[in-house]
Amino acid sequence: MSARLVVVEDEAHLAEVISDNLRLEGWEVSLAGDGAAALRVVRQQHPDLVLLDVMLPELDGFAVCQTLRAEGNQVPILFLTAKSGVGDRLRGLELGGDDYLGKPFDLRELIARVRAILRRAEWLRSPSTAGDVLRLGAATVDFRSYEARIGDRLLQLSPKEVLILRCLAERPGEVVSRNEILDRVWGYDAFPTTRTIDNFIVRLRRLLEPDARNPRFIHTVRGTGYRLTP
Amino acid sequence: MEGQLQARRWLWLYALVLLLYASLATWWVYFFFNQADWIVAHVRSAGGLLTEPQVEVLREVSARTARMFLMESGFLFLLLAGSAVFVLRALRRERLLVRQQRNFLAAITHELRSPVASARLYVESLQLGRVEPDKQARYLQHAGEDLQRLTATIDELLEGRRLLERGLAVHPEPLDLGAYVRQGFERLLALHGAAGATLLLDAPAPVPALADPVAVDRILDNLVSNGVKYGGSPARVEVGVRAHGRWAELSVRDHGPGLQGADRARLFEPFVRGGDESVRRRPGVGLGLFIVHELARLHGGDVQVEDGLPGGGTRFTVRLPAEGTAHP
Repeated sequence: MSARLVVVEDEAHLAEVISDNLRLEGWEVSLAGDGAAALRVVRQQHPDLVLLDVMLPELDGFAVCQTLRAEGNQVPILFLTAKSGVGDRLRGLELGGDDYLGKPFDLRELIARVRAILRRAEWLRSPSTAGDVLRLGAATVDFRSYEARIGDRLLQLSPKEVLILRCLAERPGEVVSRNEILDRVWGYDAFPTTRTIDNFIVRLRRLLEPDARNPRFIHTVRGTGYRLTP
Repeated sequence: MEGQLQARRWLWLYALVLLLYASLATWWVYFFFNQADWIVAHVRSAGGLLTEPQVEVLREVSARTARMFLMESGFLFLLLAGSAVFVLRALRRERLLVRQQRNFLAAITHELRSPVASARLYVESLQLGRVEPDKQARYLQHAGEDLQRLTATIDELLEGRRLLERGLAVHPEPLDLGAYVRQGFERLLALHGAAGATLLLDAPAPVPALADPVAVDRILDNLVSNGVKYGGSPARVEVGVRAHGRWAELSVRDHGPGLQGADRARLFEPFVRGGDESVRRRPGVGLGLFIVHELARLHGGDVQVEDGLPGGGTRFTVRLPAEGTAHP
C-alpha cells in the first residue's frame, strides 16, 4: 500500500510543486492550506507523514504539531519552513516534530528525507527481526511492553532505550555505528549529539549488565559505535 | 538585546540611588526637626543658661529649616522619580521596537525565501525530467511568477531604504481630485477585479485640490491594495472623493475584520505590518501606510483612520489641501 502524506502549505505554488513531486514517487498526497484544515485532514485521514509549513494563516505549524501531540497523535511530522534559525529548528523538534527542512531546499533532499522518515516509521511498526524478547544473561527485555525483567525485578524502560536495544539486537555481534542508531531511533541527522547515545548506553548497562564497568553484553567499539553479544 | 540588558541594569542603579536619597533625606528631616532640642540639652548640660523665649526662637528657626529642607528634597525626589518613569517608558518602547524588528525580519525572510523555494523546485523538477509534458509550460510560468514576486519584494525593500534615507518629494499642482481619481479607477479595477475584489467609486462632483498627481496615484494604489489585502474575501473596497472645508478628501474603506488591536500609533511607521507574523501572512513588507502618510504630510495634509465602522471594516481618509488654500 502506498504511503499517505499530507502537505500543509498555504503558498499555492509550493503546494503544487511539492505535491506533484511526492505523487510522482507513488505516494498519495492530500493538501491543507491552513492550520485548522491541517488538523481536520490529519484527524480524518490518519496519514503516514505530515509535511508542515510553520508560517500559516490563523494557526501556525508549531501550534498544529503541539495540538496533535497533545491528542496523542504520533504521526511523523516534517517541518518545511522559511524560518530556519537554530532556535526555530530546536523548537520544532522539541514540540515533537521528526525532522526540519529550511526553505529553499533541494528537491532530492526533500524526497530522501520523506523516504527516511517513512522507512523509520515502517521499522517502528514492524515486528523486530530479533524476535520480541531479548535475553541478556539473567535479564530479559520485552520489545512490545518495554519491560525488562532481571531475576524477579521488573523494570520499565523508555521507548528510546528499547529502540536502541532493538537496533543492536537486530544485528547481534556486529558493530552498529552511533550515526546509524541516531538515524533509526531519532530519525534525523546530528540531533541530538552522538553523546546522547553514550548516555543512554551507560544507563542501559547499569540496568541490565551484572557489572556495568566490565560489560558482558553491550560493548563499546572505540571511535565507531556499539556491539551487542547476547 | 544587549542594549536592553544594559538599560535594565541602569534602571536598577537608578532605583538604588533613589532609595538611598530618600532614606538620607528622611534622616536629615528628622535631624532638623530635633536640632533645637539637642542644642538646648547640650547647652544646659554644659551649665549654660537659656531663657524660654530663646529656646522658642531656636525651635522656630530649626523647624523652618526643616520645612524648607523637606520641600526641597521632596521636589528633588519627585524630579528623580519622574525621570525614572520616563526611562521606564523608553525601555518599554525599545522592547516594542525590538519585537517589531524581529517581526520585520521574519516577514521579509518569508517574503524572500518562499518564492525562491518554489521557483527552485519548479526548475529542479524540470531539470530532473519529473514533469509531464502538458505541465511543463505551466511550471515555467509559475517559476517566472515567483521570480517576479521576488523582484517586487526586493524593489520594495530597496525603495523603503531609500525613502528612509532621502525622504519623498511632492510637486503639488491644481487638480480636480474627483476627475483624476475617476480616470485612474479603470486601472485599479483591472488590477484587483481579476482577483475577485469588488471596487466601488463615489466621486460625483469636481473636487479642486492642490496635489501631486503622481503622489495621488501612489496613495490610491497603496490604500486600495491594502483594502483588498486586509478586507476579507471576497474583498469589497469603497473609494470616495469629496470636498470638505479647506480639504480635498480621498477615502478608502474596506469591510475586513478591522485593525484588530494593531498598534494605531505605529500604523504609519515603516516596516510595520498588521498582526503576528507567524500566523497572519500577507504579501508586502509594511511600507504602504508609511508612504501614504508621508505623501499626505508633504502636501500639508494628514491621514485619519476610523476603525470598527458599522458593518465592519476600516476607513482611511487622506486630507489634501483644497485648491486656493495656502499651506506651509
